[in-house]
Amino acid sequence: MKASLKWLRDYVEIEFCAFELAGRLTEILTETEAANLRTGDVRGVVAARVVTVEKHPDADKLTVCVMDWGDGSDTVVCGAPNVKAGMICALALPGSTIAGGRRISEATLRGRRSYGMLVSEAELGVGDGVGGIMDLGPHVEPGTDVIEFLGMDEEIIDVDVQANRPDCMGMLGIAREIAAATGGEFRRPSFDLAESDPTADSMIDVTIEDDLGCPRYIARAISGVTVGESPVWLKERLDSVGVRSINNIVDITNFVMLEYGHPVHAFDYDKLHDHAVCIRKARSGEKLVTLDGEERTLAGSHLVICDAAGPVALAGIMGGQASEVTEKTSNVLLECAWFDPSIVRKGAASLALRSDASQRFERGVDPLVMDEVAARACALMSDLAGGTVARGSVSVGRGSYEPVSIRLSVDKVRRMLEPAEASTGQTGPMLDAGIIKRHLEALGFRTEADRSDRDALLVTVPSWRPDVTEPADLIEEVVRLNGYDLVKPEVPFQSLVPMRNEAREAREQIREIMVRLGLFEVINSSFMAEGAGERAGVDASVEAVVLANPVNKETPLLRISLVPGILEVVRVNANAKQGALRIFEIGKTFRREGGAVDERWVLAGALWGPAERPSWGSSARSVDFYDAKGLIEALGEALEVDTLETSCYDGPILDEGASAGLSIGGRPLGCVGTVSHRSAKSWGIPDGVVVFELDVSTLSERHATGGSYEELPRYPASGRDVALVVDAGVAAGEILNEIRKRGGELLVDTSIFDVYAGKQLPAGKKSIGISMTYRSRERTLTDAEVDVSHELIVKHLIEKFSATLRE
Amino acid sequence: MIDRLEKLRSEGREQIESAASEKELEDVRVAFLGRKSELNLVARGLGKLPPDERRLVGKAVNRIKEELTTLLGEARERLGGKTGGPGLDLTLPGRVPWVGRKHPLTRTLERLEGIFKGLGFEVALGPHVEDDFHNFEALNFPKDHPARDAHDTFYVEGGGLLRTHTSPVQIRVMQTRKPPIRIIAPGRVFRNETPDASHGSEFFQLEGLYVDKDVRFGELKGVLIKFLRELYGDDVGVRLRPGFFPFTEPSAEVDVECRICRGKGCSVCKQTGWVELLGAGMVDPRVFRAVGYDPDEVSGYAFGLGVDRICMMMTGVDDIRLFLQNDLRFLRQL
Repeated sequence: MKASLKWLRDYVEIEFCAFELAGRLTEILTETEAANLRTGDVRGVVAARVVTVEKHPDADKLTVCVMDWGDGSDTVVCGAPNVKAGMICALALPGSTIAGGRRISEATLRGRRSYGMLVSEAELGVGDGVGGIMDLGPHVEPGTDVIEFLGMDEEIIDVDVQANRPDCMGMLGIAREIAAATGGEFRRPSFDLAESDPTADSMIDVTIEDDLGCPRYIARAISGVTVGESPVWLKERLDSVGVRSINNIVDITNFVMLEYGHPVHAFDYDKLHDHAVCIRKARSGEKLVTLDGEERTLAGSHLVICDAAGPVALAGIMGGQASEVTEKTSNVLLECAWFDPSIVRKGAASLALRSDASQRFERGVDPLVMDEVAARACALMSDLAGGTVARGSVSVGRGSYEPVSIRLSVDKVRRMLEPAEASTGQTGPMLDAGIIKRHLEALGFRTEADRSDRDALLVTVPSWRPDVTEPADLIEEVVRLNGYDLVKPEVPFQSLVPMRNEAREAREQIREIMVRLGLFEVINSSFMAEGAGERAGVDASVEAVVLANPVNKETPLLRISLVPGILEVVRVNANAKQGALRIFEIGKTFRREGGAVDERWVLAGALWGPAERPSWGSSARSVDFYDAKGLIEALGEALEVDTLETSCYDGPILDEGASAGLSIGGRPLGCVGTVSHRSAKSWGIPDGVVVFELDVSTLSERHATGGSYEELPRYPASGRDVALVVDAGVAAGEILNEIRKRGGELLVDTSIFDVYAGKQLPAGKKSIGISMTYRSRERTLTDAEVDVSHELIVKHLIEKFSATLRE
Repeated sequence: MIDRLEKLRSEGREQIESAASEKELEDVRVAFLGRKSELNLVARGLGKLPPDERRLVGKAVNRIKEELTTLLGEARERLGGKTGGPGLDLTLPGRVPWVGRKHPLTRTLERLEGIFKGLGFEVALGPHVEDDFHNFEALNFPKDHPARDAHDTFYVEGGGLLRTHTSPVQIRVMQTRKPPIRIIAPGRVFRNETPDASHGSEFFQLEGLYVDKDVRFGELKGVLIKFLRELYGDDVGVRLRPGFFPFTEPSAEVDVECRICRGKGCSVCKQTGWVELLGAGMVDPRVFRAVGYDPDEVSGYAFGLGVDRICMMMTGVDDIRLFLQNDLRFLRQL
């Protein structure tokens, strides 16, 4: 809400400049900015008439103008193409300052004297200056101070009025806050209203059909108005806060709304059929052309003002075009009403029509000020438009206002606002009943002592403060006027042992491990395109969560998988010529499970490019399936989870020959593999990207909480290697399982050191080199003992897998 | 004797400083610290000195040896540090493994969480798909109230909405536990706004809540000042001023002194010298009633802040959209 200091000074003394006032209001009310319209420090610019224009004898683009500014006249050289004789323009005289702090002095341009400079809007700091020098219009008296004329000396503040403060949607409300903050006197507007017969109720008929929507409606009649231009003072007032002047009647309604924060509406009395208004819910499908020229189709939830023929206005939102006040209007029906905030808000939202009026009604306007507001508007219409105000008003409605009364315990205020020592009497009070009373009364609250309770005050809330209904609300009034600065900071914690959040700690641990494994963490959007889940390999039977109102129509779903986001990061970075990519994300996925939404934490990632960090001597090998699988195994090792189990993966996105499903202890964990050539094309990513996606809860629940101690080995170990040639189809994992099963208690470790298939072996065969380590807890093993154990295993493997020993 | 040692020391220093090659340095080393150096001779002859003098001289010799050794080491580094064996190029980069990094928002969150954990807060989390009760009603945002204007909401088909702030976690925790409660709730929130440089449709918040008997406004102020000093240093200016949040009363906006201009006024702080960083206040009694607490029995405070915004202020990132774009060139910088 914009307010000008000039206007506010009608109701309260202000000894500050706009900047200081904004700072003070920010401290006690809400964020307020000073917007002095004057930009820079422009001064000394006067209106001047162009008497003659001649071409500059020595410059094609310059003219020499004789200027007359009332007090004097001289030549000025000008470069603007739009200068012409008779025009009134802005002349920066020698000694003046224009935008950007530029000082103007007398000059000689190509041999011709220039007494100052003709300036554009940009040079005054008020516009873009595209049109050349500024044309002030024909009615400005030469010699007028241009700064004053343009209202640039007006000091403006912009108050960020919060949703709970209807009163501050008007100058009076802001002025009341200023008075409370500065101790100044708050003055209501004073005016005299002359009324004449006939009475308003003989001219107007009001019925309310919807008592809830409209608890009170006041109508007044003004006859014989002359609709025309508003006086300068009124135009200036409106202009200073950014409201356009339309005609005197409409301007008066806007002025009164801005003054009191209470909207009023003027109808052309003669255009209302039967001079009757009725307030009711609209009938579904009824139509109304609003003041903005739009035809609106109404619904049963909209509240409307009707005449005998149908709707003439959307209650509390906007008037109708048919009953609009125009230059031909001579009689006015003035409406001042209280409409239900939530009905106005819903109506404005459903029609996408938020107006100055609706923004005030939806906050809840002052129910007790309506008569004064209506009278103020009538008085102005009589003064400024020559209207005759009919006697009295028609006031209809079943609504009544009960003032809110709150019992405020002074002790409670002090217990919340003062340090612990203060309430136990160790230091003197900062707040007492007297201070509390003073602050509340400055804001228009009434207070009295409670006879039954010496500690309490009985506080009556003023009608313009619907936000205050509880002691806590009063405490806020006290603390903000007393100053937040005066609250003494304390950090006195009683001990409270925080509970651990183990699931989250596991996620943090996973993140930490992935980073140590050399991956960059990414964070992607939660939104996903239609069909992206299936394209990323999610089973079609999984139901996504759909947004009713997505911000981007391309991504209307909540992500069902992290893979689409990961692939998008790959795409963007590959396009930016990043040669290597190692990324992961830990994030939530969403799926609909019946009526509920299942939110699951998932770990996903991608590897692409060289397997080793490029350097001198690094291998040129690109990442493949085994790099990603190894990464997950390393994660598993670090988390101390059980061994990973692999199975064939048959999802559509991954290459059949380079992918696997993963599980732990039979519980599905996720998948890993190379994106297939076809999928890579469809996602717009290069070939050779390896991705993985794992369920975090499976990982974290299988995660051991630490090992237990075993005595360290005292005796040395012996190693034996074997290279088995087996059919290419034999899985290494099966061989390892078999060794572990049959190894006996002396075998303590097994690993694969080589896998080979090629020319040196028959087709369809591969060789697997296995290292085995033997050790006893009781003694040093002899070679012979080791050989016996080893040969037993090897023999078993040869039989089991139809293997031969490699030469 | 001591004077002689002092002279040796200053000569040694000078020669080390003026040595122009590794060779020269080595010569200096032999001359001053070598087996036949004067210093060494003095050290060997210590035994012949009377006990008092022995202690004094011994100390001085050791001190000078140490000093010259240190200076020699520094000088070697200065001269290229090629002190390794033959065939080893010490300047050749090593075989560096891949190095990963957490997302800047994660790191900011960890920093903030670390401070609050140190103050005894525990982490609580909640769902992203919320219902109207937890996101609005219980937090005293009545239906059809203009207070909802600031929360452009994503609605989910079939019911529910994406949480517009982390405050619903307050409600969930209070519904399932009894005071005292002291939690922070970090996480992702959603607003249905077209993203621009300073607004994302998804961003991160961190919420705090403390509920107990007789919690005072000064404790809220104390905790926030403590937090901000940990974050920005002990000299940071902090200001509380009135604000409006439906779920706190009294409410406060918390400003910190602008880090760019140090409170003098610049374009970042719109010439005010202050930057808004947190919203806070005493828990509104209406919220306590909504979760079944008696506002005459308990009181508490709550606060919330934008993680992205703090990260932007700390790193100079000027477009919030960069965080979810994950350009590695960006992630590597922060």
